Amino acid sequence: MSIAPLSPDQRDSLQEITNIAMGQAGASLATLLNTFVNLSVPRINLLALPDVSGSIRNLVGSDVEVTAVRQSFQGYLMGEAIVIYQQAGCKELASMLGHTDELNQAAETELLLDVANILVGACLGGITEQLKGISKENNSGELRFSAPSVMAVNVPPETLINPEKLSWTHALLVEVNFTLENRNFVSHLVMLMPEKTIEKIRGVLDEFIASF
Amino acid sequence: MTTPILVVDDSAMARKMLIKSLPASWDVEITQASNGHEALQAYRAGKAHVMFLDLTMPEMDGYQVLETMQREGLDSFIIVVSADIQPMAQERAKQLGALAFVKKPVSPGIIESVLREYGVQL
Repeated sequence: MSIAPLSPDQRDSLQEITNIAMGQAGASLATLLNTFVNLSVPRINLLALPDVSGSIRNLVGSDVEVTAVRQSFQGYLMGEAIVIYQQAGCKELASMLGHTDELNQAAETELLLDVANILVGACLGGITEQLKGISKENNSGELRFSAPSVMAVNVPPETLINPEKLSWTHALLVEVNFTLENRNFVSHLVMLMPEKTIEKIRGVLDEFIASF
Repeated sequence: MTTPILVVDDSAMARKMLIKSLPASWDVEITQASNGHEALQAYRAGKAHVMFLDLTMPEMDGYQVLETMQREGLDSFIIVVSADIQPMAQERAKQLGALAFVKKPVSPGIIESVLREYGVQL
């Protein structure tokens, strides 16, 4: 299946919608950790599936090992959300939340899951809410999430996605960074969505663009 | 009297949304900028009696624009328009000289009420 690239207007609109959702996610993270979260401009890319791993490596860096939590979503939008942590960030997170001793594995895992759940819920919830607000038609379906689970521990970022395990040909890749001020913590939120969801979003974005 | 206003955002769509939410009766001449450098340039050319400024932008962000303006003693009525809803973001922007802070997405009527609050003639 071939898929049309996003037009500059479609990409710009989705980027702004993501930016707004990211602001909500960042505020939730700031409240949880009681610190200031630096936000960057989100990146939007429509890619053939084999190119996704390279894009994630470019985002995260090639000489790092990462731990990642995945959460799938379906309903109004469908896809996979992945929160990627660098190793130093996991330790930093633990110490910020008052764990002074070496964290046991279960407690550290729970933290990573909690933070991922907050970021994914706020970001996708924010995107969905805005898209539904634009389109008067075709806005049925709640957004449902699976429970978050650890998908990989200490692996190179390019190995996170195995294209052969997904039945998609293309993916809309939405990338957001959260950096904590004065702290050694960076996390990346990557959202992957298949063709059907891409076309649905495209339709809503076109309605939005036409309203100006 | 026509007021020169400057709308600064890296997203063209965000600029359109903001411009659409301006009070219809306000007599303005609108200039747009997509990053901080362009914003300062337009400001120096006298095109920003009122500035609507985004914070999260590539190259030069909104904080850097505010810092530069403060350092150089520049003066404008600056309204920050941002998706960053952390209370600390708002505080920082105001410390750096922004008069008001409006959250994205900009709700209808909010710009008008901010302008009226500061006595802008509409």
